[in-house]
Amino acid sequence: MIAREKLDQLKAGAGSAILRAVLPSDRCVFVFVEPSALKKVCQYVFRDLDARYVTSIGADDRPFSGSFLVAHNFAFDRDHLLCSILTEIPADNPVVDSISEVVPPANWAERELRDLVGIKLNGHPYPKRLVLPDGWPEDSHPLRKDVPWNFVPPDYDDEREYEFGDPPEGCTVVPFGPFHPTLDEPAHFRLYVDGERVRGCEYRGFMAHRGIEKLAESVLTYNDIPIMAERICGICGCVHNVTYAQAVESAAALQAPPRAEYLRTILLELERLHSHLLWVGLACHIVGFDTLFMQCFRIREPVMWVAEKITGNRKTYGLCVIGGVRRDLTVELKAELQQVLDRLETEWKAVTGAVLKDRNIQQRTCGVGVADRKLVKEAGLVGPVARAAGVDIDCRRDHPYAAYDRVAFDVITAADGDVWSRVVVRAREVFESIKIIRQCLEKMERGPIQLTLKDELPAGRMGMSSVEAPRGECHHFVITGEDNRPRRWRVRAPTYQNLQGVPMMIKDQQLADMTITLGSIDPCFSCTDRLETIDLKSGATRVWSPEELLKLGRNKQTL
Amino acid sequence: MTHNMLWRIVGGLANVQAVLLVAPLCEGVLRKVTAFLQSRKGPPLCQPYIDLLKLLGKEDIESGESPSLQRFVSKLALAAALTVACLVPMGFAAPMNGAGDVILLIYLLTLCGICTLLGGLAAGSTYSLLGIGREMMTMIALEPLFAIALLVGAVHVGSFRLDAVLNGSVYAAQGIPWSGLILLVVMIMSFQAFVQRVPFDIAEAETELMEGPLSEYSGPKLALFKWAQMVRLVVHSGLFVALFVPWGSGLAFPLGWMLFWAKVLVLVLLVTVVAATHARYRIDQAIRYFAGLLAVAFGALALAAYGF
Repeated sequence: MIAREKLDQLKAGAGSAILRAVLPSDRCVFVFVEPSALKKVCQYVFRDLDARYVTSIGADDRPFSGSFLVAHNFAFDRDHLLCSILTEIPADNPVVDSISEVVPPANWAERELRDLVGIKLNGHPYPKRLVLPDGWPEDSHPLRKDVPWNFVPPDYDDEREYEFGDPPEGCTVVPFGPFHPTLDEPAHFRLYVDGERVRGCEYRGFMAHRGIEKLAESVLTYNDIPIMAERICGICGCVHNVTYAQAVESAAALQAPPRAEYLRTILLELERLHSHLLWVGLACHIVGFDTLFMQCFRIREPVMWVAEKITGNRKTYGLCVIGGVRRDLTVELKAELQQVLDRLETEWKAVTGAVLKDRNIQQRTCGVGVADRKLVKEAGLVGPVARAAGVDIDCRRDHPYAAYDRVAFDVITAADGDVWSRVVVRAREVFESIKIIRQCLEKMERGPIQLTLKDELPAGRMGMSSVEAPRGECHHFVITGEDNRPRRWRVRAPTYQNLQGVPMMIKDQQLADMTITLGSIDPCFSCTDRLETIDLKSGATRVWSPEELLKLGRNKQTL
Repeated sequence: MTHNMLWRIVGGLANVQAVLLVAPLCEGVLRKVTAFLQSRKGPPLCQPYIDLLKLLGKEDIESGESPSLQRFVSKLALAAALTVACLVPMGFAAPMNGAGDVILLIYLLTLCGICTLLGGLAAGSTYSLLGIGREMMTMIALEPLFAIALLVGAVHVGSFRLDAVLNGSVYAAQGIPWSGLILLVVMIMSFQAFVQRVPFDIAEAETELMEGPLSEYSGPKLALFKWAQMVRLVVHSGLFVALFVPWGSGLAFPLGWMLFWAKVLVLVLLVTVVAATHARYRIDQAIRYFAGLLAVAFGALALAAYGF
């Protein structure tokens, strides 16, 4: 009913621009609009209907429908509805109006679809390259269907460098990253610093884009992808694994058995537990409080062990297949998991007691890196960052999936939007996760853990799924396809949105607060690209280029 | 006279040797106790010695703006700290206490800080420069504190002579030694900063500035800087003990000597516990904190001038 109502509202507001709509369920709606009206419709959805921007997707649909596809996804959180505004763009002239002017959080996602699918943007406010490496030629777009997955452009220009803007007057440039002790993964912030104050910054990331989406669309199969999806992130891998499976299931109208849904819930919450424990520890480390960092890691370790006992791995659980999960929970493991939770609860109470009363930590985090409600809306921030600003969103409640509609839990929020609020929100969410797992263990009944799929999945259907990762909403969009693999699979991790808010959070802050502010969104970038070798006999050094390393790796040679 | 001179040189060398040898052990104790507080096993006590040997044996890489200055400063840093060791009683009376007065000691302590500044400046990277900016601010607020403590002692005993001042002189007032007690509190509250440990390791701040002034140093030069830092911990502890906790130093040889090092060890443990239970301050917060302490210290100086 809600989907119908929203569609009627949309029709009343946007009128004849709407070509057709698909309502596969009451949880999501796909609306096709005229390309010329796309900007207006999105503005109406984002501003007048007050939807939350999720992400944008570009797809090369030429082999199937003869046109390119652009979709802008929005979420009506209070109405439990995901909404995709799609438009078809002629193959001979792939140009579309940019919506970033009226929907600012679309900034990155639009640049990404320009880079990877080659759809030109009309009137983008900041049309710099985002994803492709600096030396990649302008006219080659890897996600187009006529580009093979292992394509290396012959005119790749190794010498070309990214052009940064000029620093504001009176500011010095402080390069932050790609390698810095508090960045676990490479990303570059060019900070413009005036004394000890940060006046602005420019971001260049995507240094190790691994092309996982392309692989999925060209090499892997439906049930390979969950395993690959898990490798998107070293901490919230299970989230991607589940989100992908759910997106395909929603496209193919499948429903995993109840026991599988409970198992997914349990492992997602286990993942949140170890992620939050890790984060609180790291935050303490960043502000120089290493004792609490070590204690957090000690408390966290049993969670990793129990995950290993359940799935065979501390991380990368390899949990989902389409229509279910791969591993069941035995009675013994259930008892052990309960013990781990009991101990964790006691120990975490002690830690939160210490952290929440510590004036020293408060001095370093109160009023630092503030993201208020306005910034949350304008940058599309999600997860604990949004909740710390008092924006009450949580996909587990707003877009229930797996078994979250059968368990009771509170959505933790705070009011101030600073780093301290994020500490409080994450620290308290740990208790909610423990609560959820206990309920799952209690309510879970015996039964199958996988569907038996008799038919091939239908092609050309669309599905999307949002999962509350430890860092915020993780969103996947899938168009099913032929050859046992999707035509298009788009992943939007929570950091993708939260990182876009960082320049605003650190503006006019102390340089010393930069690391904890960036750390407070719990950023998650991705891996490394070059190394130097020294010949011990002659002492000659040699720097290996990414290409040489690739070649060595592929030919399985040693250095 | 010659005999006396020789005796002083031998004594000075003994002090330098003792400090050089004991400093890594103190660091080892610090690491072990920190590990205990963090539920870790921690490295063996001798690990800092091994670390220093390893660094000293490494290739000397020249990676800064002015390599010759960097080489010089790394040696000067250790030398300055060791010279202080000659002037401070380390269980025995200070061997070279006739070689200078309290003012020299103040200069030498400042020189230790200046070496860090020079080291960062010579390295010349962005992070080093940010680090020395912070170090400079800290020094300006901090160095007067020790100077005031020594001056208060000098005022009380009416002399700048080292052996007179470095013997609990701050308490030498008639009646209750108010100025001495106030300074004792002030010095305890700022001691972490003198030995550059959390919460005042602001200039190095690994997670913010990647070791700041030291970020371009490796191998032997880094070893010297690290050693200087360890020596600083011992020398400052020794100074603190001589100035504020002199009781029992007059006892006969093994007792007085043992008591002195026991007091230094207690101070090292105190530094460790404070470092392990605090988060790092931001430079503006630290400066405000130091400014408050400095104001109190000046008050104590005024009290001392009136004989309290």
